[in-house]
Amino acid sequence: MTDTPQDLPEGASKRLAELEHGLFTSDLSVNEFLLIKEVGFHPLGFVMGSSIYHTGIQTRKWGQSQELTKLTEAMYNARELAMTRMEEEAAELGADGVVGVRLDVNYYEWGKDAAEFIAVGTAVKAENGVSYRNKLGKPFTSDLSGQDFWTLMQTGHIPQGLVMGTCVYHIAHRGIGQTLGSAGQNVELPNFTQALYEARELAMTRMQDEANQLDASGIVGVRLEEKSHQWGSHTIEFLSLGTAVVKTSGEVTLPAPTTIISLDN
Amino acid sequence: MDDVPGDLPEAAARRFSEGAFTSGLTVPDFAACLQMGLEPAGYVQGFCVMKWGSWQFYPGAGPYGGYGPNVAGTHGGYSESWQCPHGFVSAEHRVWGQNYEQPWVEDAWANGFTSAYERLIEEASALGAHGIVGLVDTSAPLGDLGVLEFRVQGTAVKVKDGPPPADGRPWTTYLAGQRLAKLIEAGYMPVSIAATVASVRVWASCITAYLTEGTNPGWTSQAVGAEIEQTARAQMAVRRIARERVRAQLGGDSLHGASMGTRERELGEGDADLECILRGNRVRRFKEFDPMPAPRPTVRLS
Repeated sequence: MTDTPQDLPEGASKRLAELEHGLFTSDLSVNEFLLIKEVGFHPLGFVMGSSIYHTGIQTRKWGQSQELTKLTEAMYNARELAMTRMEEEAAELGADGVVGVRLDVNYYEWGKDAAEFIAVGTAVKAENGVSYRNKLGKPFTSDLSGQDFWTLMQTGHIPQGLVMGTCVYHIAHRGIGQTLGSAGQNVELPNFTQALYEARELAMTRMQDEANQLDASGIVGVRLEEKSHQWGSHTIEFLSLGTAVVKTSGEVTLPAPTTIISLDN
Repeated sequence: MDDVPGDLPEAAARRFSEGAFTSGLTVPDFAACLQMGLEPAGYVQGFCVMKWGSWQFYPGAGPYGGYGPNVAGTHGGYSESWQCPHGFVSAEHRVWGQNYEQPWVEDAWANGFTSAYERLIEEASALGAHGIVGLVDTSAPLGDLGVLEFRVQGTAVKVKDGPPPADGRPWTTYLAGQRLAKLIEAGYMPVSIAATVASVRVWASCITAYLTEGTNPGWTSQAVGAEIEQTARAQMAVRRIARERVRAQLGGDSLHGASMGTRERELGEGDADLECILRGNRVRRFKEFDPMPAPRPTVRLS
């Protein structure tokens, strides 16, 4: 227990101190636990970070599609804070990484325009003493399950970090003139196509920038989520998430799978 | 990264020019691709937003446009009508009914889908990819705008140590991971996806309306338990049109893993809009089937 970060709650330090004496908490299933042990890792504890963020509002032009940069920043920073706090908890335990990370956003009645961003996961440490921390010296994070973690290690890749990019975009309303102009026709609306296309590509590029900072060779399991949160249907957050990985041995040690046929039913 | 096609968004060009690959594959699919010698090159996508009305002034459809009863020869290949057998009953009585194909819906769908798909192909070509695996296509209404967005997304892959793609156009498949591995094991290679929509409108005749309602006004000879011929024929027609159209796309190849979904939008007693989406993987045999080792039988003890 060398470097207690300043911004963890007192209760966290106490819980983590107990964890250091051998007891571990984890939300891994038994199968995940066994697989993580199989690749030489040991779960240290359930770690979390949270951030309550006032996301505020930003004026939007009724008839114009544009990125809402203030909201984009808010959504990004809030998640980053939650993740950083989770990483601090993991570092506190001396972990090499965090698996099974989940990122959630909660809204409460008491805080209009405020949202709680939570990151939770299970901290793990390599049993052979080799450090698996990433290039920045921090524990790696990943949203991989125990099964995915095992499989990824067999392909000669190790996770570097859960990377994300976001873009909050306002979609223009259509004026009466425009609506009448194309009434009764099924035609492409290129402005809309472009706006949404651009928004998604921005989110993905930002995610990729994060991966490049980690010197990752790639990102696996990319998901693109779209949510309007509480902004109404014309404002959409595009969030892309994935696990940045780096190639190590270059060898795929995963044996060809055996075909089986179940005789149970 | 020499030639970025003109109409990709700027951010896409920047994304592709940077180091790390992105892949939408799950870890098991990623592992299976590496085993097959396919390396992910990047997550690729294409979109198209369409103004979506249920009807359209269709070129050449006469003074009423494409809306309403058929004007001979304008409603695609399929059209059938039913005559009322009752003679004059009342002014509200439906003296005739009709089923017809709605090519303006089909064309609009094909336009939206193809535009999005071509943009996906463009992204993959910009990456120098050999193929696209794990393709997902969806369409969803956008907010309250009365517009429909077509989305096609997938993971572009390169064949490890392979020569550059011959004709420059990547192959595509809905499959990924072990399911793709099994297809190749069976001696087939993916060519492209095949997808189509067929749309049929049902204007109910008096008998169809009565039977759908389950009422028999007494003066008709039609039994209440009878088959509703008009609806049944529309359901068959919409599936047949979708099948024929996909068959025409195959060009001698086989269709693998086809899935057909129909949707019915009820507009009134017996009146309906039928839509049938048929998707599948166009595949081509490249080697003789080489029997794989027999699977190991298992029994679960839990």
